[in-house]
Amino acid sequence: MAVHLRSALFYRDPKAALAWLEAAFGFELVLLLEDAEGNLVHSQMSFGDGLVMIGHQWSDLHQSPLSVDGRNTQTVHIEIDTDLDTHCERARAVGAEIIEDPATQFYGDRTYRCRDPEGHIWTVAQSVQKVSREEAEAATGLKITGWL
Amino acid sequence: MSAKVYVALRVRASRERAFAAFVGEIGSWWQPNALFQTTPRAPGRLAFEPGEGGRLTETLPNGKIFEIGRILTWSPPEALVFSWRQANFPPDLVTEVEVRFETVGSETRVSIEHRGFDRVPADSVARHGFPDQLLGLRLAEWWRELLIRLKDNAR
Repeated sequence: MAVHLRSALFYRDPKAALAWLEAAFGFELVLLLEDAEGNLVHSQMSFGDGLVMIGHQWSDLHQSPLSVDGRNTQTVHIEIDTDLDTHCERARAVGAEIIEDPATQFYGDRTYRCRDPEGHIWTVAQSVQKVSREEAEAATGLKITGWL
Repeated sequence: MSAKVYVALRVRASRERAFAAFVGEIGSWWQPNALFQTTPRAPGRLAFEPGEGGRLTETLPNGKIFEIGRILTWSPPEALVFSWRQANFPPDLVTEVEVRFETVGSETRVSIEHRGFDRVPADSVARHGFPDQLLGLRLAEWWRELLIRLKDNAR
């Protein structure tokens, strides 16, 4: 059994989220369990070698941002290798609220940030230039350890 | 409506090839699963009779043939629906498996939707005492293993 990190996200309407995440980000549904009433019980979507689980608000402690005044306590990052700006337009076209437009960051990634229909914040990044540790330190004034 | 289990993955092959491998090579990629035994005997080799109404059979090591189901929809290379029942199901219970083949670039996305396993009665040996959710998850995991074997077979 391989070792992984995975993230689970909670939605008031998880089935709508499955359709939206496919349309906006190109995630692919790889597993779905539904009960006899058609309610989503469990699901998984893949993107590259990554996987997210999309579920409902199954306890008071597992809530959609829509249910907690839009607050997020973590965000999921999507890493792509081409056409970040096109990715952003595709997400915008299906209703993503772009909260930070595409911009190239000091560490060499071009990124944008958006909110999905229930308020989950997603960051999308594409590496566009190689930046050395010295360059990054000069740009930020920070001491950086573990620069890859 | 009945509960359903859905799994999907991409196969590095055309739709035609993936469909042909699913139907024609099920004897190679199919693997038995102890939780979902088709018959109480040692597992055998599966085969489809192509075309609507064709049987999905399992030929047991003793030569006997068990009919698992029949092809209900035959639409190569897009879709295939067949009925699926285990020997330990109640006589009136039939579940249904829908297989879809969708072109994605140079690959094919193969998806399985298995419907009706929640209708296995609570006291049936086919359920192993599992609640719907756990039984469904195990069924999904098994189909995923089978699809990975199909993927290796189809290229």
